[in-house]
Amino acid sequence: MSERTPVNLRDGRAAGIVQAVLIDGVTREEIERAQAQWKPVMVEAQARWAAEGRPREKWPQHSHWNWLEKKDSTSGLLAYGFYGIEAEGEMQGLMMVSTAGNACRIASQKGKPLVYVEYLTAAPWNLRLFVPEPRYRSVGPVLIAAAVQLSRDEEFAGRIGLHSLSQSDDWYRDVCGMTDLGQDPAAGHLRYFEMTPEQASNFLK
Amino acid sequence: MTERRTMTLNLTEAEMSALEQMSEKKDLSKTALLRQALRLYQLLDVRLSHGEKLYFENELTKAKAELMVL
Repeated sequence: MSERTPVNLRDGRAAGIVQAVLIDGVTREEIERAQAQWKPVMVEAQARWAAEGRPREKWPQHSHWNWLEKKDSTSGLLAYGFYGIEAEGEMQGLMMVSTAGNACRIASQKGKPLVYVEYLTAAPWNLRLFVPEPRYRSVGPVLIAAAVQLSRDEEFAGRIGLHSLSQSDDWYRDVCGMTDLGQDPAAGHLRYFEMTPEQASNFLK
Repeated sequence: MTERRTMTLNLTEAEMSALEQMSEKKDLSKTALLRQALRLYQLLDVRLSHGEKLYFENELTKAKAELMVL
């Protein structure tokens, strides 16, 4: 069962707001369609970088994510949810969250439940990593806001947590205002970030 | 909001006491805590039925003990 809520995205090419839809409960078919829409942009970018001789470590670190595989491997499990943002008939971003078995590490919230953001990405045409002029802005913030809202709905007071790919560390720290709890040896030394209820309120302002 | 259904739950005094203590500790209502428990139980059940095992590890000694989930 999916729910659709109107949200606003910022137009990256012309100043203005674009009406979009936040989907809670993205279906397998929607994910399949999104991946099919995203793939040509990613393949074209990768061919360009290969021709330019751009080193692999400079390529987007999430390029290999297979959303369909993530959806299939968690099918029917209550602990996982998929969110998406759709605008102009295309998926502008996807997020997978977990709502069970995740506890806060930050001292002031230690042991309290949180929504864990397993994966989050914007469509490649919305990322400067892929294109010089992103089509839509604020896809990431809208998805993080959805995770915060889910956390509140679950009585987790807005607490969320995630491990960040190094290319996104600054974004989670500076734009989202999350607390950086350092590298996590148990998660491939990715940095672990958390948002407290206070930080969540500030983020939603 | 997804449609919700209501049920009556019969618990012993000890079970209700444990539920209340856990709810307070986790800062959740009893309903939210039980929903958490159900999600976690379902997740464990599926992973165990796929042949995975669940262990507790002692942080100091690194000794592992398998947890049997019924």
